[in-house]
Amino acid sequence: MTDSQIDRSSRTDRGTDAEPSPLLRIEDLRKSYGDEEVLRGVDLEIERGDVEVLVGPSGSGKSTLLRCVNRLTEVDGGHIYLGDVDVCAPDTDPNEIRQQIGMVFQDINLFAHLTARENVMLGLRRVKGMDKEPALERAEEELDRVGLGDQVDSYPAQLSGGQKQRVGIARALAMDPELMLFDEPTSALDPELSNGVLDVMSKLVADGMTMLVVTHEMRFARGGATGITFLDKGEVVERGPPEQLFENPEKERTAEFFQSISHE
Amino acid sequence: MDPAAFLSTVSWVAAGELSPLLVESIWSMLGEDWQFVLRNADYLLGGVVITIVLTITSILLGILLGFPAGAIEVYGSGYSKAAVRNLGILFRGTPILVIMLYMFFVMPIEYLLGPLNTLIGGIDLLLGPTPFTAPEEIGGAFFAATLALGLRSAAYQSQIFRGALSSIDDGQMEAARSIGMSRLVALRYVIVPQALRRSVPGFQNEFTIVLKDTSIAFAIGLGELLKRSDDLFIQQTTAILEIMLFASLIYFVLTFSTNRTLDFVDNRFAIPGESS
Repeated sequence: MTDSQIDRSSRTDRGTDAEPSPLLRIEDLRKSYGDEEVLRGVDLEIERGDVEVLVGPSGSGKSTLLRCVNRLTEVDGGHIYLGDVDVCAPDTDPNEIRQQIGMVFQDINLFAHLTARENVMLGLRRVKGMDKEPALERAEEELDRVGLGDQVDSYPAQLSGGQKQRVGIARALAMDPELMLFDEPTSALDPELSNGVLDVMSKLVADGMTMLVVTHEMRFARGGATGITFLDKGEVVERGPPEQLFENPEKERTAEFFQSISHE
Repeated sequence: MDPAAFLSTVSWVAAGELSPLLVESIWSMLGEDWQFVLRNADYLLGGVVITIVLTITSILLGILLGFPAGAIEVYGSGYSKAAVRNLGILFRGTPILVIMLYMFFVMPIEYLLGPLNTLIGGIDLLLGPTPFTAPEEIGGAFFAATLALGLRSAAYQSQIFRGALSSIDDGQMEAARSIGMSRLVALRYVIVPQALRRSVPGFQNEFTIVLKDTSIAFAIGLGELLKRSDDLFIQQTTAILEIMLFASLIYFVLTFSTNRTLDFVDNRFAIPGESS
């Protein structure tokens, strides 16, 4: 495990030296579904190594925001830059962008017909064009890293929800992304199964991974986040370090929101 | 085949060598009509071969056209989708007997059949006789029956495959796209392998239906099992029960073993941990 941690931090260091500009820059992002405006001009900047947690009531546009970043959803207006690359430009290949942005889904979406190892390998083989042997080794490394080194041959249906989600994380990590998107990674899991997933995420934070996380897990937000963005009705209401938003929010809506989830 | 020779073969296979006397007594117990059927068993078995080959060619044609058609119905757009859908409706909405008569009597199949036979003859000439080339020329009735059964089967297989494709959760495609796969690669490695597994039970039905419907080629005079059974009936009209029982038994053995084979395929490729 120690080996892979060193490996990872050296990888992120390399990036930091090269480019001082923020890794992800979102400007005036707009998205509508029919008449419904889901995102109304969102601005957000994430530096390398940042862990930004997006919170907000359901329907506030958090998931849509994430999906716009890797173009699973096409935007209606505004800009997204990953480093210097304009993500939404028509001549930007979304498949290139997506290799640099890992995504973890709420409903996990493991490839049902493949073992844990094959799930992680598939992208290495069919996107990166890696040979079988190195892809196999890399997949096992990544599964080891999420604590599933002994489950490499299990099929998704043979794993618990938490284990599946950790395979999902390993699948995304195997592509060597610069940025990881987490879309409510523990919301579909029983509380006692969430912990393993949150542990893996905390380890990623420690390794210096840049992360944009939609979650209701306030423990993770308090412990791991470098910044919290409170989104409501498609707008950023307030953004700041965790202490500020939890203890001393400037806006009343923010205070109300944190009050309401602490009562749950 | 000589009756005594036939029976001794059967009995030899079943229980080792039997005494000629025993063979003779079994033979005489069978009665005249069963004797007639067994005496002509090789004629019927020749029909079985045609039935099996016709089933295989029809299903292959159905797979070849049905799978892409199903994929077009799910992922295609515009004219291709409309064309495939309407052709499907046409073939599913017409009785197989009508399709077959149309193929044989209306369609100018000889224009297709000629080049096809030349091609097969050419392969034969180049490679020598192989198991993959026909020993004789393909007849018009066989060709028309393959077209009719194959196209109709394609129309149904496309629906089986379409249903299987659209039953795969959208999240599978999204997850594949999220790691940078193109749509086509995702289809090839994520969607289709799962859809094929879900298609097996549907194909099980379809294969059985094609197998049984080869008997409709009787109407255009193709010498498959039912046509040859009818030939025998004309020779000895009193043996109708025996002939039909014998033919039914063969059809049953064929459909039953097809089903069991596909059961095996279903189990073999089932995803561990999932109930299918």
